[in-house]
Amino acid sequence: MKKAAYSFPEEVLEHVFSFIVSDKDRSSISLVCKSWYEIERWCRRKVFVGNCYAVSPPILIKRFPELRSVTLKGKPHFADFNLVPEGWGGFACPWIRAMAGAYPWLEEIRLKRMVVSDESLEIIAKSFRNFKVLVLSSCEGFTTEGLAAIAANCRNLRELDLRESEVEDLSGRWLSDFPDSYTSLESLNISCLGNEVNLLALERLVSRCPNLKTLRLNRAVPLDRLPNLLRGAPQLAELGTGAYTSEMRPDVFSNLAEAFAGCKQLKTLSGFWDVLPSYLPAVYPICSQLISLNLSYATVQSPDLIKLVSRCEKLQKLWVLDYIEDDGLEVLAASCKDLRELRVFPSDPFGLEPNVALTEQGLVSVSEGCPKLQSVLYFCRQMSNAALNTIARNRPNLTRFRLCIIEPRSPDYLTLQPLDDGFGAIVEHCKDLRRLSLSGLLTDRVFGYIGTYGKKLEMLSVAFAGDSDLGLHHVLSGCDNLRKLEIRDCPFGDKALLANAAKLETMRSLWMSSCSVSFGACKVLGQKMPRLNVEVMDESGPPDSRPESSPVEKLYVYRTVAGPRLDMPGFVWTMDDNSALRIS
Amino acid sequence: MEEMVMATLDLITASPHSSSSSSSSPTTDNNNNHPSSSSSSSSSSLCLSSISTRRTDLSTDLRLGLSLSPSHYSTPSREQRSSFDWPPVKSTLRCTLVEKSQISQFVKVYMEGIPIGRKLNLLAHHNYHALVKALANMFRTTILCPDSHQLPLISGNNVHVLTYEDQEGDWMMVGDVPWEMFLTSVKKLKITRADRC
Repeated sequence: MKKAAYSFPEEVLEHVFSFIVSDKDRSSISLVCKSWYEIERWCRRKVFVGNCYAVSPPILIKRFPELRSVTLKGKPHFADFNLVPEGWGGFACPWIRAMAGAYPWLEEIRLKRMVVSDESLEIIAKSFRNFKVLVLSSCEGFTTEGLAAIAANCRNLRELDLRESEVEDLSGRWLSDFPDSYTSLESLNISCLGNEVNLLALERLVSRCPNLKTLRLNRAVPLDRLPNLLRGAPQLAELGTGAYTSEMRPDVFSNLAEAFAGCKQLKTLSGFWDVLPSYLPAVYPICSQLISLNLSYATVQSPDLIKLVSRCEKLQKLWVLDYIEDDGLEVLAASCKDLRELRVFPSDPFGLEPNVALTEQGLVSVSEGCPKLQSVLYFCRQMSNAALNTIARNRPNLTRFRLCIIEPRSPDYLTLQPLDDGFGAIVEHCKDLRRLSLSGLLTDRVFGYIGTYGKKLEMLSVAFAGDSDLGLHHVLSGCDNLRKLEIRDCPFGDKALLANAAKLETMRSLWMSSCSVSFGACKVLGQKMPRLNVEVMDESGPPDSRPESSPVEKLYVYRTVAGPRLDMPGFVWTMDDNSALRIS
Repeated sequence: MEEMVMATLDLITASPHSSSSSSSSPTTDNNNNHPSSSSSSSSSSLCLSSISTRRTDLSTDLRLGLSLSPSHYSTPSREQRSSFDWPPVKSTLRCTLVEKSQISQFVKVYMEGIPIGRKLNLLAHHNYHALVKALANMFRTTILCPDSHQLPLISGNNVHVLTYEDQEGDWMMVGDVPWEMFLTSVKKLKITRADRC
């Protein structure tokens, strides 16, 4: 075996590699040659696993023996909307146990949509001496007892972020388990907790941690305690308030306003449950420095929102309820020229009649007035092809466009035509579009446009759309960079799926629920493609108790190097190359 | 405009998840003030079977030459929509909004031995713990939390438990059923002495 005389010593290569941070680049390096693969895997410190079932703990540990940071994602995205039944999977425990043994120097664990037990949290607390970052995003399965273990044992903890997780809140006592000597907290997000934490302990914790930059409180923290907390952390950059209401008293108000004014670095605000509008002006002193404002829980009317938003000239990100209305969005468009991301949520998602004056016009105004707008999530009740066309032409720099017209299959309200052309304009003009969610009345034509123009598209969400398999075929055959495809209630069936089976290996995952994919086709797919897990979910009983041609309730297909998973609940079946069903 | 569009629709009101109950009658949902809902009953029986297996029927419908206008699809009631998992709104936001849209639910609260009662808005609280805390403050007494495992071993007259009268007129201990279920069955509350239960 020849050894190239000019090859660099390992240490040099390792040093060079240490500047390569992105996962994609790291992956590319490892493919150059065997020795680079070897060097790279020993010096890789950070790994992102987009689907925890695509790989297994032993495989990860074998390849990367020296990790400091691991990110894992579990359930499919549609779990956020109750489409994934309880018990489906995404268990963190096997990963945490394995990592506890293999990575004593692990510093960071980030989990999303996974089931985490108190036992797992205790293992984390006791196994990693230098543990610094724990982020549990939309996770569930643990209680405040698990948090107590983390607080009591992780001496070097910098970040504890429980964003949107479901925590069984047994008591607020856990926060007191941070020892008095503990001062390294930089980021704390307890916004999802239901009960009151020990407020005195919180105040002491906040004031003794000089590097605390992010503090997101839960709803139970009363507004009159906020000034004290702010005074204890004037260096705060990101704040999530608790309930933003109290008996209206001038001294409470002025105390609050003064405390806010003292936070010269505060750039991000969120929280705002139960807002009493007359308290909103307390934040006016810092509006001009805000870059991010999350008002998605603030049930206040347009005039109050307008007064607030019009003062935030540096705003880059706004999440708000549709109470802002078209008028408010027009003011936003005029005042916030640096806006990059807008999300407008529905205040009455289940009502049939509009309760606010928010239409497509609001979005059109923002697309006209905000040249840097890249990311949109917009719930509304009417849309037109003309508006979509205008938005597309105004904002070809859009990278994420998610539109939810509340009534399924709503046509263009002006012409009563499908919205194919409007979305077609979006994909045609927005050449860097990476994420798209469709809604409204749509035929196979829109998928033709997406297949033709959506070359950079990575994630597509589809509901109540299309006419036939041709729609699905356009997407699978045309979108070269597609990673995640999630579909519900569409007439897509076997033909497109089987014809594009190979494509599925180039994607992270495919979700199809309430479509027309037959059980027989799922079996064929599972048999044909050994490197895919083809999972059928059916809560009404084993799919083989019905004819092969009956449609499956839910289908989740993902590529994997770990083979079929072994932790499936009773309502999930893997179609694999044993043509007999494996029933767990 | 919207009325004009809606008037041309041929509404079917059966739920798409029509397993057992709702499919036989049009939705009698008090939130549904939809202009054409009254005309739905005649069409509901015709279209029920196609709606119940909505996902497979679309190809049949297309072959029959039925149009793709929204008329073909049901407009479920508010309750049906919220269990239909559409629109895609995360549960944290959903819960906050639902709370906000509900009218208040004031119930009478009496404490044993005190003839004048109080009134409390149950919907201002999100769980038993919050309710008990609010009442303990209101009546300045200790109320044993329903989900604590302590039995009322403490004697004396400053410890109470919370009971409620349900729709059937029976007096029950607060805390045995899920909070949401409790909200639908409670008529009034009574704070009784712990040693009486």
